[in-house]
Amino acid sequence: MTFDYDIIMAYVDGELDLVTAKRVERAALKDNALAAMIAEQRALKAKLAAHFYPVLDEALPARLMRPLEKIDTRLASPARSFRWSTVTAMAASLAIGLLVGPQFFSPSSGPLTVRSDTLVADGTLANALDTQLASAQPENAKIRIGLTFQDKAGAVCRSFDSAAIAGVACRQENDWIIQRAMAGSPRPAYRQAAADSLMDDIEAMMAGDIVDAATERVWRDNNWAARGAVHN
Amino acid sequence: MAFEQDLVALLPRLRRFARGLTGHHADADDLCQAAIERALTARQQWQVGTRLDSWMYRITRNLWIDRHRADARRGSMTSIDDSAVQIADNSHQRMEAQLDFGDVDRAMATLPPEQREAVVLVLVEGYSYREAADIASVPVGTLTSRLGRGREALATMLGEAA
Repeated sequence: MTFDYDIIMAYVDGELDLVTAKRVERAALKDNALAAMIAEQRALKAKLAAHFYPVLDEALPARLMRPLEKIDTRLASPARSFRWSTVTAMAASLAIGLLVGPQFFSPSSGPLTVRSDTLVADGTLANALDTQLASAQPENAKIRIGLTFQDKAGAVCRSFDSAAIAGVACRQENDWIIQRAMAGSPRPAYRQAAADSLMDDIEAMMAGDIVDAATERVWRDNNWAARGAVHN
Repeated sequence: MAFEQDLVALLPRLRRFARGLTGHHADADDLCQAAIERALTARQQWQVGTRLDSWMYRITRNLWIDRHRADARRGSMTSIDDSAVQIADNSHQRMEAQLDFGDVDRAMATLPPEQREAVVLVLVEGYSYREAADIASVPVGTLTSRLGRGREALATMLGEAA
Protein backbone atom coordinates (compact mmCIF):
# COMPACT_ATOMS: atom_id res chain seq x y z
CA MET A 1 0.00 0.00 0.00
CA THR A 2 1.31 3.45 -0.85
CA PHE A 3 0.43 6.71 0.83
CA ASP A 4 0.50 10.28 -0.42
CA TYR A 5 3.19 12.54 0.94
CA ASP A 6 0.40 14.57 2.58
CA ILE A 7 -0.88 11.52 4.44
CA ILE A 8 2.58 10.70 5.75
CA MET A 9 3.08 14.28 6.93
CA ALA A 10 -0.34 14.26 8.58
CA TYR A 11 0.61 10.99 10.30
CA VAL A 12 3.82 12.54 11.66
CA ASP A 13 1.86 15.60 12.82
CA GLY A 14 -0.78 13.52 14.62
CA GLU A 15 -3.51 14.76 12.28
CA LEU A 16 -4.83 11.42 11.04
CA ASP A 17 -7.82 9.60 12.45
CA LEU A 18 -6.86 6.53 14.44
CA VAL A 19 -7.85 4.03 11.76
CA THR A 20 -5.77 5.67 9.02
CA ALA A 21 -2.87 6.18 11.44
CA LYS A 22 -2.91 2.45 12.21
CA ARG A 23 -2.88 1.67 8.48
CA VAL A 24 0.21 3.87 8.04
CA GLU A 25 1.89 2.19 11.02
CA ARG A 26 1.19 -1.30 9.69
CA ALA A 27 2.44 -0.36 6.21
CA ALA A 28 5.62 1.16 7.68
CA LEU A 29 6.45 -2.17 9.33
CA LYS A 30 6.80 -3.74 5.88
CA ASP A 31 7.90 -0.78 3.80
CA ASN A 32 11.42 0.44 4.58
CA ALA A 33 11.15 3.51 2.39
CA LEU A 34 7.99 4.60 4.15
CA ALA A 35 9.53 3.94 7.56
CA ALA A 36 12.60 5.98 6.58
CA MET A 37 10.46 8.88 5.40
CA ILE A 38 8.54 8.89 8.67
CA ALA A 39 11.77 8.73 10.66
CA GLU A 40 13.27 11.60 8.67
CA GLN A 41 10.24 13.82 9.22
CA ARG A 42 10.10 12.98 12.91
CA ALA A 43 13.79 13.84 13.21
CA LEU A 44 13.24 17.14 11.41
CA LYS A 45 10.37 17.98 13.72
CA ALA A 46 12.40 17.09 16.81
CA LYS A 47 15.36 19.11 15.55
CA LEU A 48 13.23 22.23 15.01
CA ALA A 49 11.44 21.86 18.33
CA ALA A 50 14.74 21.38 20.18
CA HIS A 51 16.31 24.35 18.40
CA PHE A 52 13.61 26.80 19.50
CA TYR A 53 12.66 25.31 22.86
CA PRO A 54 15.35 27.18 24.89
CA VAL A 55 13.65 30.50 24.04
CA LEU A 56 10.93 29.52 26.53
CA ASP A 57 13.44 29.56 29.38
CA GLU A 58 14.96 32.94 28.57
CA ALA A 59 14.33 35.83 30.97
CA LEU A 60 11.69 38.17 29.60
CA PRO A 61 13.18 41.49 28.45
CA ALA A 62 12.02 44.55 30.40
CA ARG A 63 11.01 46.33 27.22
CA LEU A 64 8.30 43.76 26.58
CA MET A 65 6.88 44.33 30.04
CA ARG A 66 6.88 48.11 29.83
CA PRO A 67 3.76 48.53 27.65
CA LEU A 68 1.83 46.38 30.11
CA GLU A 69 3.08 48.43 33.03
CA LYS A 70 2.13 51.68 31.27
CA ILE A 71 -1.46 50.58 30.97
CA ASP A 72 -1.64 49.57 34.60
CA THR A 73 -0.19 52.88 35.75
CA ARG A 74 -2.61 54.85 33.62
CA LEU A 75 -5.58 52.94 34.93
CA ALA A 76 -4.43 53.46 38.50
CA SER A 77 -3.79 57.19 38.20
CA PRO A 78 -5.10 58.69 34.97
CA ALA A 79 -3.85 62.22 35.74
CA ARG A 80 -0.23 61.20 35.86
CA SER A 81 1.91 60.68 32.88
CA PHE A 82 5.27 58.96 32.82
CA ARG A 83 8.16 59.32 30.51
CA TRP A 84 10.03 56.08 30.72
CA SER A 85 13.77 56.15 30.50
CA THR A 86 16.25 53.35 30.32
CA VAL A 87 16.94 53.86 34.00
CA THR A 88 13.31 53.37 34.98
CA ALA A 89 12.89 50.35 32.74
CA MET A 90 14.21 48.00 35.35
CA ALA A 91 11.98 49.54 38.01
CA ALA A 92 9.01 49.09 35.69
CA SER A 93 9.77 45.46 35.16
CA LEU A 94 10.17 44.94 38.88
CA ALA A 95 6.84 46.65 39.54
CA ILE A 96 4.96 44.49 37.06
CA GLY A 97 6.85 41.54 38.45
CA LEU A 98 5.27 42.14 41.83
CA LEU A 99 1.92 42.70 40.19
CA VAL A 100 1.75 39.50 38.19
CA GLY A 101 3.94 37.23 40.24
CA PRO A 102 7.65 36.72 40.47
CA GLN A 103 7.62 33.45 38.58
CA PHE A 104 7.73 35.31 35.27
CA PHE A 105 10.96 37.05 36.13
CA SER A 106 13.02 34.49 37.88
CA PRO A 107 14.12 31.64 35.65
CA SER A 108 15.14 29.81 38.80
CA SER A 109 11.64 29.96 40.36
CA GLY A 110 10.59 26.58 41.66
CA PRO A 111 8.17 24.21 39.99
CA LEU A 112 5.82 24.23 43.00
CA THR A 113 4.12 26.79 45.18
CA VAL A 114 1.62 26.70 48.03
CA ARG A 115 -1.62 28.55 47.39
CA SER A 116 -4.43 28.49 49.98
CA ASP A 117 -2.71 25.61 51.76
CA THR A 118 -2.66 23.60 48.55
CA LEU A 119 0.43 22.52 46.65
CA VAL A 120 0.14 23.69 43.05
CA ALA A 121 2.41 23.63 40.02
CA ASP A 122 4.19 26.88 39.28
CA GLY A 123 6.69 28.36 36.84
CA THR A 124 8.04 26.06 34.20
CA LEU A 125 6.13 23.06 35.53
CA ALA A 126 2.80 24.90 35.28
CA ASN A 127 3.78 26.05 31.81
CA ALA A 128 4.66 22.52 30.72
CA LEU A 129 1.41 21.12 32.13
CA ASP A 130 -0.53 23.91 30.40
CA THR A 131 1.03 23.75 26.99
CA GLN A 132 3.16 20.67 26.39
CA LEU A 133 1.64 17.80 24.46
CA ALA A 134 3.08 14.40 25.31
CA SER A 135 2.84 13.61 21.61
CA ALA A 136 4.95 16.62 20.54
CA GLN A 137 7.54 17.41 23.14
CA PRO A 138 11.14 18.22 22.33
CA GLU A 139 13.75 15.55 22.95
CA ASN A 140 15.54 17.79 25.43
CA ALA A 141 12.44 19.09 27.26
CA LYS A 142 13.40 19.76 30.87
CA ILE A 143 9.99 18.63 32.04
CA ARG A 144 8.43 15.70 30.26
CA ILE A 145 4.71 15.11 30.28
CA GLY A 146 3.79 11.45 30.59
CA LEU A 147 0.15 10.42 30.63
CA THR A 148 -2.97 12.52 30.37
CA PHE A 149 -6.17 11.10 31.81
CA GLN A 150 -9.35 11.95 33.64
CA ASP A 151 -9.82 11.23 37.33
CA LYS A 152 -13.02 9.85 38.81
CA ALA A 153 -14.34 13.34 39.55
CA GLY A 154 -13.89 14.32 35.92
CA ALA A 155 -10.79 16.52 36.34
CA VAL A 156 -8.02 16.33 33.76
CA CYS A 157 -4.80 14.96 35.27
CA ARG A 158 -1.29 14.71 33.81
CA SER A 159 1.80 12.93 34.99
CA PHE A 160 5.19 14.60 34.62
CA ASP A 161 8.82 14.06 35.39
CA SER A 162 11.97 16.13 35.43
CA ALA A 163 15.38 16.19 37.07
CA ALA A 164 13.88 17.84 40.17
CA ILE A 165 10.48 16.26 40.61
CA ALA A 166 8.09 13.67 39.21
CA GLY A 167 4.40 13.35 39.97
CA VAL A 168 0.78 13.76 38.98
CA ALA A 169 -1.18 17.02 38.89
CA CYS A 170 -4.90 17.53 38.30
CA ARG A 171 -6.58 20.60 36.90
CA GLN A 172 -8.75 22.64 39.22
CA GLU A 173 -9.97 25.95 37.85
CA ASN A 174 -6.79 27.44 36.45
CA ASP A 175 -4.34 25.62 38.68
CA TRP A 176 -2.62 22.26 38.52
CA ILE A 177 -3.06 20.76 41.99
CA ILE A 178 -0.25 18.36 42.85
CA GLN A 179 -1.76 14.98 43.75
CA ARG A 180 1.41 12.93 43.91
CA ALA A 181 5.00 14.09 43.98
CA MET A 182 8.34 12.41 44.38
CA ALA A 183 11.95 13.43 43.91
CA GLY A 184 13.05 13.28 40.30
CA SER A 185 16.47 12.35 39.05
CA PRO A 186 18.84 13.89 36.54
CA ARG A 187 19.45 10.37 35.23
CA PRO A 188 16.86 9.33 32.65
CA ALA A 189 17.01 5.68 33.73
CA TYR A 190 15.97 6.61 37.26
CA ARG A 191 13.32 8.93 35.91
CA GLN A 192 11.75 6.02 34.11
CA ALA A 193 11.74 4.12 37.38
CA ALA A 194 9.98 7.05 39.06
CA ALA A 195 7.41 7.13 36.26
CA ASP A 196 6.83 3.40 36.61
CA SER A 197 6.31 3.66 40.33
CA LEU A 198 3.69 6.35 39.75
CA MET A 199 1.71 4.00 37.52
CA ASP A 200 -0.03 2.31 40.44
CA ASP A 201 -1.21 5.67 41.73
CA ILE A 202 -2.37 6.70 38.29
CA GLU A 203 -4.31 3.50 37.79
CA ALA A 204 -6.06 4.04 41.12
CA MET A 205 -6.95 7.62 40.23
CA MET A 206 -7.95 7.06 36.62
CA ALA A 207 -11.45 6.85 35.16
CA GLY A 208 -11.64 5.75 31.53
CA ASP A 209 -8.54 5.38 29.39
CA ILE A 210 -5.32 7.28 28.99
CA VAL A 211 -6.08 9.69 26.19
CA ASP A 212 -4.57 9.64 22.73
CA ALA A 213 -2.68 12.52 21.09
CA ALA A 214 -5.74 13.98 19.36
CA THR A 215 -7.80 14.05 22.56
CA GLU A 216 -4.90 15.52 24.49
CA ARG A 217 -4.74 18.34 21.98
CA VAL A 218 -8.49 18.99 22.18
CA TRP A 219 -8.32 19.06 25.97
CA ARG A 220 -5.43 21.52 25.85
CA ASP A 221 -7.45 23.73 23.51
CA ASN A 222 -10.26 23.67 26.04
CA ASN A 223 -7.85 24.83 28.72
CA TRP A 224 -7.98 21.41 30.42
CA ALA A 225 -11.56 21.98 31.56
CA ALA A 226 -13.20 19.26 33.67
CA ARG A 227 -14.90 16.64 31.50
CA GLY A 228 -17.71 15.57 33.85
CA ALA A 229 -17.55 12.54 36.09
CA VAL A 230 -16.91 9.17 34.51
CA HIS A 231 -18.51 6.04 35.88
CA ASN A 232 -16.83 2.80 35.05
CA MET B 1 -5.58 42.62 35.14
CA ALA B 2 -6.40 39.17 33.86
CA PHE B 3 -5.71 40.29 30.31
CA GLU B 4 -2.24 41.61 31.14
CA GLN B 5 -1.45 38.55 33.24
CA ASP B 6 -2.51 36.20 30.47
CA LEU B 7 -0.42 38.20 28.04
CA VAL B 8 2.65 37.94 30.28
CA ALA B 9 2.09 34.19 30.65
CA LEU B 10 1.95 33.90 26.88
CA LEU B 11 5.14 35.89 26.27
CA PRO B 12 7.66 33.02 26.33
CA ARG B 13 5.75 31.19 23.60
CA LEU B 14 5.14 34.39 21.65
CA ARG B 15 8.86 35.16 21.72
CA ARG B 16 9.61 31.69 20.42
CA PHE B 17 7.09 32.15 17.61
CA ALA B 18 8.62 35.53 16.73
CA ARG B 19 12.12 34.05 16.85
CA GLY B 20 11.05 31.38 14.41
CA LEU B 21 9.52 33.93 12.05
CA THR B 22 12.30 36.50 12.09
CA GLY B 23 15.31 34.32 12.83
CA HIS B 24 16.84 37.15 14.87
CA HIS B 25 16.86 37.73 18.60
CA ALA B 26 16.39 41.53 18.51
CA ASP B 27 13.98 41.51 15.56
CA ALA B 28 11.85 38.94 17.36
CA ASP B 29 11.59 41.10 20.46
CA ASP B 30 10.82 44.17 18.31
CA LEU B 31 8.01 42.17 16.76
CA CYS B 32 6.72 41.00 20.14
CA GLN B 33 6.83 44.54 21.46
CA ALA B 34 4.81 45.83 18.52
CA ALA B 35 2.34 42.96 18.92
CA ILE B 36 1.86 43.70 22.63
CA GLU B 37 1.26 47.37 21.91
CA ARG B 38 -1.22 46.48 19.17
CA ALA B 39 -2.99 44.02 21.46
CA LEU B 40 -3.32 46.57 24.25
CA THR B 41 -4.74 49.13 21.83
CA ALA B 42 -7.17 46.62 20.34
CA ARG B 43 -7.96 44.69 23.52
CA GLN B 44 -11.68 45.47 23.16
CA GLN B 45 -11.65 43.32 20.02
CA TRP B 46 -10.57 40.25 21.95
CA GLN B 47 -13.59 38.32 23.15
CA VAL B 48 -13.33 36.93 26.64
CA GLY B 49 -13.69 33.17 26.50
CA THR B 50 -11.92 32.86 23.16
CA ARG B 51 -8.29 31.88 22.96
CA LEU B 52 -5.88 34.69 23.68
CA ASP B 53 -2.96 32.77 22.20
CA SER B 54 -4.54 32.44 18.73
CA TRP B 55 -5.47 36.12 18.79
CA MET B 56 -1.96 37.19 19.80
CA TYR B 57 -0.29 34.90 17.28
CA ARG B 58 -2.52 36.33 14.55
CA ILE B 59 -1.61 39.91 15.51
CA THR B 60 2.07 38.98 15.55
CA ARG B 61 2.06 37.24 12.18
CA ASN B 62 0.06 40.06 10.57
CA LEU B 63 2.60 42.62 11.77
CA TRP B 64 5.43 40.44 10.55
CA ILE B 65 3.91 39.87 7.11
CA ASP B 66 3.15 43.61 6.79
CA ARG B 67 6.74 44.50 7.65
CA HIS B 68 8.11 41.90 5.32
CA ARG B 69 6.04 43.24 2.44
CA ALA B 70 7.01 46.83 3.24
CA ASP B 71 10.68 45.84 3.26
CA ALA B 72 10.23 44.02 -0.02
CA ARG B 73 8.65 47.12 -1.57
CA ARG B 74 11.62 49.18 -0.46
CA GLY B 75 13.83 46.62 -2.12
CA SER B 76 15.80 45.72 0.95
CA MET B 77 14.59 42.15 0.85
CA THR B 78 13.47 39.84 -1.90
CA SER B 79 9.75 39.73 -2.44
CA ILE B 80 7.77 36.75 -1.27
CA ASP B 81 7.27 35.56 -4.83
CA ASP B 82 10.92 36.04 -5.71
CA SER B 83 12.11 34.07 -2.74
CA ALA B 84 9.74 31.24 -3.64
CA VAL B 85 11.27 31.08 -7.10
CA GLN B 86 14.73 31.27 -5.62
CA ILE B 87 14.09 28.26 -3.43
CA ALA B 88 12.87 26.26 -6.37
CA ASP B 89 15.68 27.20 -8.73
CA ASN B 90 18.73 28.28 -6.84
CA SER B 91 20.63 25.11 -6.19
CA HIS B 92 23.70 27.14 -5.22
CA GLN B 93 21.77 28.55 -2.28
CA ARG B 94 20.76 25.08 -1.26
CA MET B 95 24.28 23.76 -1.45
CA GLU B 96 25.51 26.67 0.59
CA ALA B 97 22.88 26.01 3.20
CA GLN B 98 23.76 22.33 3.20
CA LEU B 99 27.36 23.12 4.10
CA ASP B 100 26.02 24.65 7.29
CA PHE B 101 23.62 21.80 7.77
CA GLY B 102 23.56 22.24 11.53
CA ASP B 103 22.20 25.72 11.25
CA VAL B 104 18.45 25.59 11.55
CA ASP B 105 18.16 29.38 11.50
CA ARG B 106 19.98 29.59 8.21
CA ALA B 107 17.79 26.94 6.63
CA MET B 108 14.65 28.60 7.96
CA ALA B 109 15.77 31.95 6.55
CA THR B 110 15.75 30.58 3.01
CA LEU B 111 12.06 29.66 3.21
CA PRO B 112 9.47 32.06 1.82
CA PRO B 113 7.65 33.78 4.72
CA GLU B 114 4.39 31.90 4.35
CA GLN B 115 6.16 28.53 4.41
CA ARG B 116 8.27 29.58 7.38
CA GLU B 117 5.14 30.63 9.21
CA ALA B 118 3.42 27.29 8.55
CA VAL B 119 6.52 25.38 9.68
CA VAL B 120 6.83 27.37 12.90
CA LEU B 121 3.15 27.16 13.79
CA VAL B 122 2.86 23.41 13.31
CA LEU B 123 6.33 21.96 13.84
CA VAL B 124 7.61 24.31 16.54
CA GLU B 125 4.52 25.68 18.28
CA GLY B 126 2.60 22.41 17.98
CA TYR B 127 -0.64 23.83 16.61
CA SER B 128 -3.00 21.58 14.72
CA TYR B 129 -3.47 22.26 11.00
CA ARG B 130 -6.84 23.86 11.70
CA GLU B 131 -5.49 26.12 14.45
CA ALA B 132 -2.49 27.13 12.34
CA ALA B 133 -4.73 27.87 9.34
CA ASP B 134 -6.95 29.97 11.57
CA ILE B 135 -3.96 32.00 12.83
CA ALA B 136 -2.62 32.47 9.30
CA SER B 137 -6.15 33.27 8.05
CA VAL B 138 -5.97 30.78 5.19
CA PRO B 139 -7.88 27.58 4.33
CA VAL B 140 -6.47 24.39 5.85
CA GLY B 141 -5.47 23.14 2.38
CA THR B 142 -3.35 26.24 1.77
CA LEU B 143 -1.70 25.84 5.15
CA THR B 144 -0.84 22.18 4.61
CA SER B 145 0.47 22.92 1.14
CA ARG B 146 2.81 25.62 2.51
CA LEU B 147 3.82 23.33 5.34
CA GLY B 148 4.57 20.49 2.94
CA ARG B 149 6.78 22.65 0.69
CA GLY B 150 8.52 24.19 3.69
CA ARG B 151 9.35 20.94 5.41
CA GLU B 152 10.46 19.35 2.13
CA ALA B 153 12.93 22.22 1.58
CA LEU B 154 14.13 21.99 5.19
CA ALA B 155 14.59 18.23 4.98
CA THR B 156 16.72 18.71 1.87
CA MET B 157 18.80 21.49 3.38
CA LEU B 158 19.25 19.91 6.77
CA GLY B 159 19.69 16.51 5.15
CA GLU B 160 20.94 13.69 7.28
CA ALA B 161 21.46 16.08 10.15
CA ALA B 162 17.69 16.39 10.56
